[in-house]
Amino acid sequence: MANEAPTPAHTASSSTAERKRIFVRGPWEMAASILIGLGVIMLMQPLSITLYSYSFVTILVGTVGYIIVSHFPE
Amino acid sequence: MSNNNITKDTPGLRGLSDKSLAWLFITPTIILLLAINIFPLIWTIYLSFTDYRSNQPGREIEWVGLENYRDVLTSPDVWGYMQTTASFVISTMLIQVAIGFALAMFINKNFKGNSLLTTIILIPMMLSPAVVGTFWTYLYQPQTGVFSYIIDFFADVGPLDMIGSVDLAPWAIVIVDTWMWTPYIMLLCLAGLRSIPEYLYEAAEIDRANALQKFWYITLPRILPFLMLAVLFRGIENFKMFDMVVSLTSGGPGSITELASINLKREAFENWKTGYSSAFATILFVTVFGLGSIYVKALNKVKS
Amino acid sequence: MIRSAKMLKVGESSGLSKWIAGIIVTFYALVTVMPLLWIVATSFKSPPDSISYPPQIVFEPTLEGYVNLFTERSRQTDEYIEKLGPPETWYEEIVRERNMVVTGPSRFAGRYWNSIFIGFGSTFLAVVLGTMAAYGFSRFKVPLKDDLLFFILSTRMMPPIAVAIPIYLMYRELGLSDTALGMIILYTAVNVSLAVWLLKGFVDEIPREYEDAALIDGYSRFQAFIKVVLPQMKAGIAATAIFCLIFAWNEYAFALLLTSGNAQTAPPFIPAIIGEGGLDWPAVSAGTTLFLLPIVIVTVVLRNQLLRGITFGAVRK
Repeated sequence: MANEAPTPAHTASSSTAERKRIFVRGPWEMAASILIGLGVIMLMQPLSITLYSYSFVTILVGTVGYIIVSHFPE
Repeated sequence: MSNNNITKDTPGLRGLSDKSLAWLFITPTIILLLAINIFPLIWTIYLSFTDYRSNQPGREIEWVGLENYRDVLTSPDVWGYMQTTASFVISTMLIQVAIGFALAMFINKNFKGNSLLTTIILIPMMLSPAVVGTFWTYLYQPQTGVFSYIIDFFADVGPLDMIGSVDLAPWAIVIVDTWMWTPYIMLLCLAGLRSIPEYLYEAAEIDRANALQKFWYITLPRILPFLMLAVLFRGIENFKMFDMVVSLTSGGPGSITELASINLKREAFENWKTGYSSAFATILFVTVFGLGSIYVKALNKVKS
Repeated sequence: MIRSAKMLKVGESSGLSKWIAGIIVTFYALVTVMPLLWIVATSFKSPPDSISYPPQIVFEPTLEGYVNLFTERSRQTDEYIEKLGPPETWYEEIVRERNMVVTGPSRFAGRYWNSIFIGFGSTFLAVVLGTMAAYGFSRFKVPLKDDLLFFILSTRMMPPIAVAIPIYLMYRELGLSDTALGMIILYTAVNVSLAVWLLKGFVDEIPREYEDAALIDGYSRFQAFIKVVLPQMKAGIAATAIFCLIFAWNEYAFALLLTSGNAQTAPPFIPAIIGEGGLDWPAVSAGTTLFLLPIVIVTVVLRNQLLRGITFGAVRK
């Protein structure tokens, strides 16, 4: 999984395709991270039990999304 | 990856080829983790769809679909334990970041003997949380405990029942966690401080930046990734906190300090609601896993 | 990382601010160490001294806590004790003063031994497996490498209680419940993820040229690993081993749920040392002292090696 930052080998041979790849993956990973964060807040907030009920789905979507997104270009 | 150029130039001279050696080296670890971590995890997920009770092994297991998840996610009690967990995580993180950050700044002044003092400060986080919780129950004793005595001596508030009082018990666990884990935050802040190259300050000096500007534009941005890493890691750890709090308050009084993991243990190993608690466990696990992915990403960023 | 001595020459703090920093940090260190010193002191108190008000700083030291920790005792009548004749050992003498007789050894020594045995056993296995896997991941092209490494680290983050349910069921089926073997396997699995992650960092830092030279000299890859790489990894392996050992030594949740008698380690046992009328604090403190002391020594002696493990490799030397 591309959780590791690009290795020197990658950056050294940064073809246009690879530059594009980094460009694409970044925002998606960010979006998934935000979704996970949102889900965690929903899970533990004291305001609404409805938000709490939907927290797990949010976290699940975020986490599964994260795993998929981090494989994006390959 | 370019890693492998060497291995291609020198094909297995004697004995094993590189490829078989690689597998020979890696497979045992993977198999062990599959057997002890992944297999149980998949089993948990399976059980979370059933009404299994592990104290009645003979009984037929019935598939109940998403019922357990519905039960956990609509229970006001569990929601409450989540909030308890949240207040624990948030208050420990805020206090520890404040103290840890300040300590790191002070230690970075390189006064005489700071290496020895740093070592002393690090000791608590190496200790067994369960044993730490146990001996703090002694320090917290209302009359005879030295903690209550010292507070009473300076603040004159009478004997403090840190563990038995509804108002104080949440603070009791926050204090012990702070005592144990502030050094961790401090350590990472220190790593951040020491990663700042000297020439940045030199340049700032030339630009006649004042101390506050130097802190705001050089020190803080450089420390922030380390601080985030520390908070994320400790936040995850405290989200699943079990041992220290169990041996200190075991969730009491009432359920004032009943954190999510403690309640999970109660449902699974005292009420034997295995199916229900498997669903609960899955929810906790997915949450930790999601936060963990973010942590690993941050860790790799900081490392590189 | 830049060495501390080299830096801060520019922002070199004045003498006064150093003094203030020193005083504040010293104060914090004192606050940190006080609870520990108090527990060590309590282990040498008599039970009445341990629950006196106000808490006593000056007291007559006694080994009663340690004697109570290691023995089972029963209360007897004066006539019975008189009939026994004079106490034969120093610990009998301490126990007799409380109108008790020693009936046998307590289970603490066994629990402590379990902690040592399971700790060292699992550490050894985790380090062996971890070294091999770390070398494999560092040097060879492994399909799905990043996925596997992430998978390995993520297993470390699992909440123990979440996997404890099926492990409990699995161990019950396999007959591994409450056995040292079961605990060793479990702790090995938890530790190996940390070991791989840390050791890979160390292997990555060893220049490949050393192995290349060995390969050209006619060594096989395996021989090169044994004769060239391993000696270079010594420091890293030692640091990792200490870390694994501390984890296994301190672990509580699994030990609580999966062991009860034979294989129980010290952490779930110490809170359960019961005396007459509640916890026997000097005995609990004695057990705590004996249990924490090795870790304190290790921390002080090997602090620099530990830093990397504490921060998952985020702090580099």
